[in-house]
Amino acid sequence: MGYRTIIATLLLTALLVVSVSAGYLHWSKGGSGSGLYSRYWSPETVQGYWDPDNFYQPQESIAGIFDATLCIQCHEGITPGIVNDWRASRHALSDEPVYCNDCHGSDHQRLHLPTPRICGGCHEKQHGEFRDEARYGFPSHVLAMERAVDAPHFADKPKAEVQSCVQCHSVATKCDSCHTRHRFSATEARRPEACITCHSGPPHPDDESYFGSAHGKIYLTEGKDWDWSKKLAKGNYRAPTCAYCHMDEGRHQVADKSLWKFGLREINPHTSKNRLLREQWIDLCSDCHEAQNAERWLSELDRERKSAWAKLYRAEDLLKDLRSNDLLRPAADERPDYPMGGFWSMERIGFYEGQASAFYNVSAIERDYFEMWYFDNLGAYKSAAHGNQRGVEEGHRQMAAALQRIEIKAQSMRQFSQTKQGLVTKPAVTDLWMKGGYTEFNRTNN
Amino acid sequence: MRNIDLIQMRFGMVSVCLICLWMHPAIAETEVENGPFNNSQCINCHSERNPQLITQWQAGPHAASPDVGCNSCHGALHQGSNNKARGDHTCIGCHEGSASHSYTTSKHGVITRLEEEGQDREQPLQRGNYRAPGCSYCHLHDSNHNDSMSQSSGPEMRHWVCSGCHSPRFVREQLANGKQQLKIADLKVAEGEALIAAAADNMSHHLEILRQRLLQHRQNILYGVGHQSPDYQWWHGQPALDGDLIRIRDSLLQIQQRQRVTTDHKE
Repeated sequence: MGYRTIIATLLLTALLVVSVSAGYLHWSKGGSGSGLYSRYWSPETVQGYWDPDNFYQPQESIAGIFDATLCIQCHEGITPGIVNDWRASRHALSDEPVYCNDCHGSDHQRLHLPTPRICGGCHEKQHGEFRDEARYGFPSHVLAMERAVDAPHFADKPKAEVQSCVQCHSVATKCDSCHTRHRFSATEARRPEACITCHSGPPHPDDESYFGSAHGKIYLTEGKDWDWSKKLAKGNYRAPTCAYCHMDEGRHQVADKSLWKFGLREINPHTSKNRLLREQWIDLCSDCHEAQNAERWLSELDRERKSAWAKLYRAEDLLKDLRSNDLLRPAADERPDYPMGGFWSMERIGFYEGQASAFYNVSAIERDYFEMWYFDNLGAYKSAAHGNQRGVEEGHRQMAAALQRIEIKAQSMRQFSQTKQGLVTKPAVTDLWMKGGYTEFNRTNN
Repeated sequence: MRNIDLIQMRFGMVSVCLICLWMHPAIAETEVENGPFNNSQCINCHSERNPQLITQWQAGPHAASPDVGCNSCHGALHQGSNNKARGDHTCIGCHEGSASHSYTTSKHGVITRLEEEGQDREQPLQRGNYRAPGCSYCHLHDSNHNDSMSQSSGPEMRHWVCSGCHSPRFVREQLANGKQQLKIADLKVAEGEALIAAAADNMSHHLEILRQRLLQHRQNILYGVGHQSPDYQWWHGQPALDGDLIRIRDSLLQIQQRQRVTTDHKE
């Protein structure tokens, strides 16, 4: 067999693999849900409000074609709040007002919710920037909805339960997460509070870490007197806010300078690409600070991340060691599986093994690690990135405590499995994780 | 003749009503001093002026608490008393922690805070008067001094309040989802409690703490759906309950393993 035949066979196999994978991917997205696992779940009707393009169904109870005057006349009585809101908005006050039917349509039985595409009809620049953010990968606003629905736990859990996920992840599918309806105000969206409904809580305490920083404290004291109609640019604000740094110059992208990303993986902050990002940050900080200081702060963030990952790797190693000795209970096959199953069942430890979904149906020590990784680590990261030293110390104190708990627990699990003769006995199988009211409800409700 | 009498009577009644309505603000303004007033003075006077308000207050949760009087929220002076009572900070002074944090970080809470200075809080707590609902807009809607968002006020009231700004279907869907989320939370709590009950003989302090956490996280979900806080529905709620269930199961597993070892030794 000549080398040509070998190459041809390899090429054909590669082509076959690629086309089968592409076919599978296409097929997997063809179900009643959306995303990778769309065949394994069906949406609740309420999801139409969070992802209108995919799931919104217009209501047929009122028939007729209406112009703006009629919409307003009727809705002044039905929903006066939104009419007042619109009246005070730039849409109403502009020389060429934007009326209800410009965004919702006129046929009451075929009304639609405005998606970014519809807003982009007029706000082309912002919409273009928003869409273009996809090239920076996760985490990002524009990719947020696929991130949510492509998580195994989203496909698995009852859909009513995971509606709380899509409320924030709808930042990808609607513009009113930041420009609340029906005022759609740019000045409102520039305020840090516009971000905190989603950027708060254990995995992303952006609110606490920012408001506790020097920048945040200045904002809290003086911010209400600032002129928020000004552009997010050098000289216009005494202290930086979320949008000033993450959407500088008002660019509708938050991921373009993202260096350490979500904080869930260790990265090399000095690759040639990341060196460019560092320069962008230093440029931005130089709006107010000396460039050397900005460089130093970035290096401090790198050191903080290194120290965080040293602790996380230590915990991850302990868990992997327990797994390789088959000491984790429940073992992989003693836990309820996802509806789409998996090629093989395995305990999920670490980023690449789907740890982000490992907050339920896992062993206690895996959950301990999940909390250390997803809560304590991310709290420390956000504090370091936002210049909140107290938050960094608190985050690292919690990580050290979590690591200690994991070490003690791992040690007792190993000791427990050793007989007096020094032999390792496997812990007995358990069905504790397979039964229960919610557990059974979850199995039948995807 | 009878008809004329009737017409005259009706005319008279209508005139009296109109004169009273026209005079009402004047009466209110001329008769009332600015204070300061103490609680019993407030109650004495308002029992005559707005008996319904007093009845509502008496049936509501604040009357049950000896430390909360009229002036805890309204202050002791008449002037600006509504403005004071209707501000979020007044409620948050007492309702700290998850109860208010779930609201202040929600979109409603954020908008209310950002528009605090421009909002005329002398406006009645009715549809169309507020850009976003503050605590009082929902819980004391239309000056209802019994919590208008409580279970006893019924779903119709919640529907009425929310639909001042949101479409009736949106409100229905959101409220239904909130109920579903709570039902799921209750299933988790019941699952946890059943597991704990199975370990009744070995009931430890640790398991009791876990049981308390279940209830606390279930409460967070109630705050989350009530205040439309995704963070409280999710991170402080559902996955937190999932964590409690894991730890309850792990405690049970350890009890079982210890029992097994003891039995093995005996054998």
